[in-house]
Amino acid sequence: MNAQPGQSRTFSRRGFLGLSAAAAAVPLLAACGGGSASQAGGGAAGGTIKFWDMPWAAPAYNDAAKKIVEGFSGNNSKASYQLIQWNNFYQTFSSAIASKTGPAVSTGGGFQAFQFEQQGQIAYADKVIDALKKNGQFDDFLPGVLEPFKSDKGYIAVPWQLDMRVFWYRKSLFDQAGVAVPTDWKSMLEAGKALKKIGAVGFATGSGAGNFIGNHAMIMMMVNNGGGVWNQDGQIDVMNDRNVEAVEFLLELVSNGIIDPAAVSYTTDNLNAQWKDKKAGFGLNVAGLPTRVGDTSGDLYVASPVAGPHGDKATIVFPNNIMMYKNTPSQEASEAFLTYYMGQIKELWKQKLMVALPVFKSITEMPEFASDPNNVKIVKEWQPIAKTFAARGSKLTANMAVLDGGQALSQFTQTILTGKSDAKTALKAFESGLQSVVKS
Amino acid sequence: MSSTTVQSGLARARRGVAPGGSGGRPRNNGLNRKSKLSAQTSRTYFWLLLTSVILLVLIHGYPLVYAGVQATHDGNLIETGNFVGVENFANVLGSAAFWKATQFTLIFTIVGVFGSWLVGLGLALLLRTKIPAGGTFKVLLLLPWVVPIVVSSTAWNWLVATPESPVPSLFRALGLGTPLFLADPTLAAATVMAFKVWVSFPFMMMMTSAALASVDNTVYEAASMDGASRFQQFSQITLPLIARSTYISWILMTIFCVNDFPTIYLLTGGGPVDATTSLVVLAYRKVFQDFQTGPGVAIAFLMTLTLVIVSVILYRQIRKSSVE
Repeated sequence: MNAQPGQSRTFSRRGFLGLSAAAAAVPLLAACGGGSASQAGGGAAGGTIKFWDMPWAAPAYNDAAKKIVEGFSGNNSKASYQLIQWNNFYQTFSSAIASKTGPAVSTGGGFQAFQFEQQGQIAYADKVIDALKKNGQFDDFLPGVLEPFKSDKGYIAVPWQLDMRVFWYRKSLFDQAGVAVPTDWKSMLEAGKALKKIGAVGFATGSGAGNFIGNHAMIMMMVNNGGGVWNQDGQIDVMNDRNVEAVEFLLELVSNGIIDPAAVSYTTDNLNAQWKDKKAGFGLNVAGLPTRVGDTSGDLYVASPVAGPHGDKATIVFPNNIMMYKNTPSQEASEAFLTYYMGQIKELWKQKLMVALPVFKSITEMPEFASDPNNVKIVKEWQPIAKTFAARGSKLTANMAVLDGGQALSQFTQTILTGKSDAKTALKAFESGLQSVVKS
Repeated sequence: MSSTTVQSGLARARRGVAPGGSGGRPRNNGLNRKSKLSAQTSRTYFWLLLTSVILLVLIHGYPLVYAGVQATHDGNLIETGNFVGVENFANVLGSAAFWKATQFTLIFTIVGVFGSWLVGLGLALLLRTKIPAGGTFKVLLLLPWVVPIVVSSTAWNWLVATPESPVPSLFRALGLGTPLFLADPTLAAATVMAFKVWVSFPFMMMMTSAALASVDNTVYEAASMDGASRFQQFSQITLPLIARSTYISWILMTIFCVNDFPTIYLLTGGGPVDATTSLVVLAYRKVFQDFQTGPGVAIAFLMTLTLVIVSVILYRQIRKSSVE
């Protein structure tokens, strides 16, 4: 009998130690286990293609996209849908790719495909392009949409929507101010002064936490004047005369109070509120601004492109794309899925779920899209003059991501919006900041 | 209890043997057994400790070592890249942005720690007195700490962001102009610090209230009889008696302030023109906006090192105050 408790104690102690060791080993095993990004499942030969998507529009968009994804059954495969939030999305993708638990196919940041391609994680989409040629969709792409994705090694991704920056105006404020909608920089300045007199903003923008509209306005105005951050060879060339001229004009807008003095701190919500509250009279924003700010007045219109002092007309566009990753249960299945998805995306515009523009001409001609005169105007007047962040060059690279979300551009934008620098000093600091982070 | 048991117990007591002990065995055997037990216990402790050490290494050590690897390489979030030694540290220490962020972090921390402590101490002293609905006030005063920072930063943004916001409108109504609280670099820094104090004072109030509750009232009565003024009582009795708790709260708040990302990032994003960029915001921007993992992690390492040094200094103050 005396032995029994002793045995029990020994067992208990060892048992506890064993249990502890097992518990300690769990994260170790989990860490070492790795795993596949797109595990074969469901008994399908091609496995399950994991598709990661972002919240591109209202939640109804993601529901519709999920339905499309789950409808895929080609190449003995099926597909699963995962929504990824924008917050820290690059970290989410990077961590998943590093641990081989990432997607096989995904949407994502505009330059994400180029970043991951640089890191050897992207599967080229040449076979998808071939398939689109066969099914006729290749010829349906709007002009110039596909070229930025073509590299020496192949197509890095396939564009599926265009996030364009266009000038919007509120007609009632222009009527009230008794001024015409700007057609060039000179009239933009005059209209801005007239709008200011009635308490409205003549160049609505913002550069607060998480708001990139201000950054885009800076680059757009440079590109609109025939300038840009890069030269034709893709090298940094910030200090060109056209950029200096554009920044001097922006500083003039600031000094005349046409740009809101508080714009430097405006978040997206602050800026949206300015548009919705009929405070913003004119400004650069995304296509689909009324939907974005919840304005149903019918008083917001897309302006025609404005000409710079040398007659140049241009804007910037972010061709959002779908990319394939090397970590996939089957490359053929990934390609079959992407080809299938490209054939189905018209449904998203048909259901009026998208804010951005489509990449296919046939979608722009659908009554659901063309019934909005603002959409028609953007496609007709803005799309043909739209350039990417790579302007004056044409090739998109991973460096565009550093420019788009990086500190150099944010700091430059905020410097201009506070009006506490001259154009050349601000541009020089911008160039220097960009050079320190860009890989040549 | 029987007489036998009592006698047996007394006998054991005389021999120095505890109840249940054998007593009759030779002393040598007892020592051997004790030694054997001790060795067994040591082994048990060793294995128990080893388990904890393994867990700690997995949870803390691995990320720390991995971060060390990243800080000495030129890679990204997926690939380690090439070994560059201390180049990332040298680059970071040589950049003006780092020192600007250090300066802001220092001021932010000093204001955050002492601002929240002063407000917390004042309110704790006030709530110590008998005021009507004191309990309700205590709960209400905890709200800034309890409300998620995302919600409170949105509320503060609404209060101050635009010229039409309530606070600038109030200033305008009072004839004080229209201050741009988040657009002016100096005002933005002041606003972020005020926000930090507002978020943090309830924590300080709780810590101080708990410390004040442990001070015996008779000490004050004796001091009053000796003719000590209210200020003398506060400076000579209250502050020394709550010093230990105060130092602990300072250490904790220093760590909270230096590592505080959401308070700053959600309100200003580090702007305008880097006016509110702290070290942790700078590290975040380096890694996730400029995609420079090595320099970003190097900043994090330097922050950790600084925090350890500050914590050790303040911890020594705690020990000193305990001895006194």
